[in-house]
Amino acid sequence: MSPALLEVDGVTKRFGGLSALNDLSFSVGDGEIVSIIGPNGAGKSTVFNVITGLYPPDEGDVRLRGQSIVGLSPNRITKAGIARTFQNVHLFPNMSVLENAMVGQHSRSKAGVFGSIARTPRVRREEAVIRQRAEECLGFFGKRLAGYRQDQPAFALSYANRRRLEMARALATDPVMMLLDEPTAGMNPKETLELRDHIVRMRDELSLTVLVIEHDMRVVKGVSDRVVACDYGRKIAEGTYEEVANDEQVIEAYLGKRHEELG
Amino acid sequence: MRAEVRIGAIAGVVTIFLAAVGLIGDFTNLNLIGEQVTFAGLMLVLPPLLAGYVATTPRIEAGQVIEATRARAAMVGAVTGASAGVVFAAFVVFVDVFGVERVRAIFLNISPVLMDFLLRGRPVLVAAAILVAISTISGTAGASYRVLPDAARRPLGTAVWVTLLFGFLQRIIPIALDQLDVERDWLYSKVTRGLTWPGAIIVAALAAGASVLKQHRGAAMRRAVSIRPSSDGGGPRLTPVNALLLLVGLAVVFVAPHVVGSVISEVLGTIMVFALLGIGLNIVVGYAGLLDLGYVFFFTLGAYSLALLTGATLNTFVGSSAPVIALDLNFYVAIPVVVAIAAFAGVLIGAPVLRLRGDYLALVTLGLGEMIVVLVTSPWLTPLVGGPQGMRDITNAAIGNFGFRDPKHFYYLAFAFVALALFVSWRLANSRIGRAWTALREDEQVADAMGVSTTSYKLLAFAMGGAIGSVGGALFAVKIGSLTPASFTVLVSIQVLGIVILGGIGSLPGVITGSLVLVGLPGLLREFEEYRLLAYGAALVAVMLLRPQGLVPNVRRSRELHEEDREQDKWAGDIAADEHVAPGISPLGEGAG
Amino acid sequence: MASSGPARAVDTQLSGFATLPWRKIILGILGATISFVVVVGAFKTLTLPQAERYSGDFWVDQVVNGLGQGAILALIALGYTLVYGILRMINFAHGEVFMAGSFISFFFADAYLESGFLNNQPYTALLILFVVSIAASTLVAVLLERIAYRPLRNAPRLVPLITAIGASLFLQNAFRGFFGAQPRGYPLPDILRGSIELFGIKVSKVQLLVFITAIVAMLVLQAFVNRSRTGRSMRAVAEDSEIASLMGIDVDRIVVITFVVGGILAGIAGVLFALTFEQVQFTMGFKPGIAAFTAAVLGGIGSIGGAALGGFVLGLLQAMGPPLLLTGFGIPSPFSLKDAFVFLILILVLVFRPGGLLGSGEAEKV
Repeated sequence: MSPALLEVDGVTKRFGGLSALNDLSFSVGDGEIVSIIGPNGAGKSTVFNVITGLYPPDEGDVRLRGQSIVGLSPNRITKAGIARTFQNVHLFPNMSVLENAMVGQHSRSKAGVFGSIARTPRVRREEAVIRQRAEECLGFFGKRLAGYRQDQPAFALSYANRRRLEMARALATDPVMMLLDEPTAGMNPKETLELRDHIVRMRDELSLTVLVIEHDMRVVKGVSDRVVACDYGRKIAEGTYEEVANDEQVIEAYLGKRHEELG
Repeated sequence: MRAEVRIGAIAGVVTIFLAAVGLIGDFTNLNLIGEQVTFAGLMLVLPPLLAGYVATTPRIEAGQVIEATRARAAMVGAVTGASAGVVFAAFVVFVDVFGVERVRAIFLNISPVLMDFLLRGRPVLVAAAILVAISTISGTAGASYRVLPDAARRPLGTAVWVTLLFGFLQRIIPIALDQLDVERDWLYSKVTRGLTWPGAIIVAALAAGASVLKQHRGAAMRRAVSIRPSSDGGGPRLTPVNALLLLVGLAVVFVAPHVVGSVISEVLGTIMVFALLGIGLNIVVGYAGLLDLGYVFFFTLGAYSLALLTGATLNTFVGSSAPVIALDLNFYVAIPVVVAIAAFAGVLIGAPVLRLRGDYLALVTLGLGEMIVVLVTSPWLTPLVGGPQGMRDITNAAIGNFGFRDPKHFYYLAFAFVALALFVSWRLANSRIGRAWTALREDEQVADAMGVSTTSYKLLAFAMGGAIGSVGGALFAVKIGSLTPASFTVLVSIQVLGIVILGGIGSLPGVITGSLVLVGLPGLLREFEEYRLLAYGAALVAVMLLRPQGLVPNVRRSRELHEEDREQDKWAGDIAADEHVAPGISPLGEGAG
Repeated sequence: MASSGPARAVDTQLSGFATLPWRKIILGILGATISFVVVVGAFKTLTLPQAERYSGDFWVDQVVNGLGQGAILALIALGYTLVYGILRMINFAHGEVFMAGSFISFFFADAYLESGFLNNQPYTALLILFVVSIAASTLVAVLLERIAYRPLRNAPRLVPLITAIGASLFLQNAFRGFFGAQPRGYPLPDILRGSIELFGIKVSKVQLLVFITAIVAMLVLQAFVNRSRTGRSMRAVAEDSEIASLMGIDVDRIVVITFVVGGILAGIAGVLFALTFEQVQFTMGFKPGIAAFTAAVLGGIGSIGGAALGGFVLGLLQAMGPPLLLTGFGIPSPFSLKDAFVFLILILVLVFRPGGLLGSGEAEKV
């Protein structure tokens, strides 16, 4: 049996005395959509940061198709095929929408110093391909990021469009796997529904594997093949949405949290 | 009224400052127009004038811009000017009563000449009253200028600054006219050396006329020369009007040294060298966003390695001697070697330090720049680079028998390299590499996560910048013909940084403008040599405070420099505060927020 | 989206070349080279033939000199560290703050020498010199903050740094414009001439004054920051200025006070420096400024104890390093390379231990 696309194996990450991740293991198979849920502070984004190489794990391993990617720089991991978005949108705010997406193509192109200076036919062709790919990725969101908007600086976009642009930029890295960090945060119900469809389309139309951190249970329910629930950096449940939603520990994690909040 | 008095008092203190550093006393004989308008006089009038202008800045109240009425503006200006005048007059009275010589024992520039200029032989109180009156009038004038209708304001402003500029260029324009065999006595007086009054009036009228023309036909003119990006993404395309302008421009550039004579050609050569350095540093600072305060490192490296590669000799007290490493390459063979050395050095130095955060990197590069200066001066390396005495007999980069030491010839050599560097820099900026640099500059960590290898691209910027800077150094060596460590100080780094910043970070036209202003003006106005660095410092501060995007801004860069105006994603950040992140190592906390 | 294609191959294959940790290798080579130079250089210097070898007294002198200069560096370094702690900015013009105090006090010292006051009433005269120097330095520091830095509080990080460089250049040249470019001899009161024997070591009186004054100033500072209300507010602002302002602390006022404290320390250092080297000039702030910044980084920037420690350590390194390491290699006049040595230390600290001696080694995100 070939290994799963992504395996997170016994990962522990500590910040000072705090364990953000504690012996966390799960795997994601080809073409799956897996959601990670958990209360605030459960270490969900830290998982993403460890997978994409922003933090080295203190213990454990992360494997892509059976090969360890621990210790690789983030740009190498992106090149290996993992793309991501961020919890608080991080665009290149002063670059145009199109340019933002074009940066995504960076690791799929080669033009070097001399080629760029001489602007050889090969480099011109490559540049045309980059542009075309970027436009296609923006086109994934229909008319939202098309037309005149492509030449606007990214900071001028609405909040929802910034989230979409971030996803388009990630798509432009030509990934095999997409990590989405709370893609619907701050969106209204209509936009949230639209986004749910986009996540499903990423799998169905683009053959991507998707790992998504999400708070909105309707989205989680609507898209997930499997759900991983975390609390305090540990996995507390894994399974279909229904299984996880009815798990005692999960309910307690959420309700317990609520009790604390209510004081 | 309190605000006006305060602004006026500040202007008064500024005037005292100008007097104390010598900007008034040293220039009582620098006539700009006739015998009446001198530079000293200008220094006296300018602070209250500006204060009057500033004091009438429209206020914003409840979202509405409220401009002062004319009468009110005149009043505000008068009060501001008067307070400036009172402060300055008090200073003059104090100096007179206390005794000029006693003040001068400490403040060297508060001299009898200055006092004669201010008092004109009148009793001190009368003179003080006159100073207050002049200041009040200036303040009123500054304020009135603000409330003039646009149709009058623009031509007036243009006329004034163009005429003054002509007055300042009294060393250049007459020489150029002489070289062209054009009669010039009607424009510049041989006695005062400045503009004659009729000449000034003609210049002012022409400038005002041009301004009016621009107001009425400006839109059409701009349209004619505007650069449209071509549809295939291959960069801007030339329109016929542009092509014509380009041709005229090139023609001017080509004949320039023959029109302006040797002295000014020399200045032009220096401008070119610094433009080259600016283009190089712009890649590092402007494109990749790395603040490098040690750019003199590459300048020095280029100059000395060229000297060593092309058979220069050491200066000693008894003549010249060969350095321990002496090659005798042709200049055009040596240049690629110099570039390779510099690029390699850039990578070697960059590798350990480029991961440092911005301000630390700045200090480390400053240290590197200082270290190379110490090294070329040190007795240790004297057998190689001549120590404090330096080197001489540097190649003149001759092609056949045509050498480039003569300033008029050097200009062309330097121009060729500047053009090449501009081309390289422009092509890189508009390529995949330029895009990666921009991404890196805007948000390093996100760029990394999007597949841009940040270390490689920082190193590339460092190496490219270093390579271009070393060519600047090599050209400098050719220009001067000899090298001493005195030419290689931290001031070179700061000067080049000033060029990049004043011109506009990340903007190639800005670099050219910056070197024209910061190298050209001081080079042409030799009288001001002593005040050059003072002006540099003031310019750096003023640009950062008032116009951080520089004179000829790069659009995107100027947005970045105003980022504090836009709290990007503040609300997104509020929604999502999910992680335990240890203090100080939040990788995604700093960049865009 | 056709071109993205299904199931692209995963590219985790790395050539052996790319997997090498280049940075670590370069750093390793660098570290090894430096250790080699240090060990061999020191060994060679100490085992030179008797005639060429430095005497024991020479090293004792170097230690005393090093501590004296280290004390001055520590005082200036505290100014960098305080401002950095509060504003997270390098006040590049701090060297000029120090220069201003030194230079202005010169005119008083000179006048007192002429009137005889300097030698008749040396204690009063010295006290006045300190007060004048402190006043001048503080004034410059506060003006800097008000004019050059405050409007840029929220600007991108490099903007205030560039402003600071401009301000530094401006201040230097303004002083040159006011008072001229030539160096001036700073008079030394007679009571500070000569040296005394202390535990069998000869120490010049000036060095003793430097040492004592600096230590007292640092103790007072430590008490101020730890004990006083204002000191507590300063620490709060350094921790998190936004929260501090929500707690009712006037951040602007704290920033001004920080600059004032930095100015006071620089003013004290100004007189001590002038008395040590008996000379003032408009460029005098630059090199001590950089050295003091190095000291602050060496100790761990943002930390008060670190700046003090860094100052003394750097002073010693500066005094002992060049002769100890370079003489053995036959490099002539090692002291001419003293400044290069300081910069080398700055670079090495930032590369190998950016948190400084007292820092965590990682400290801030670097």
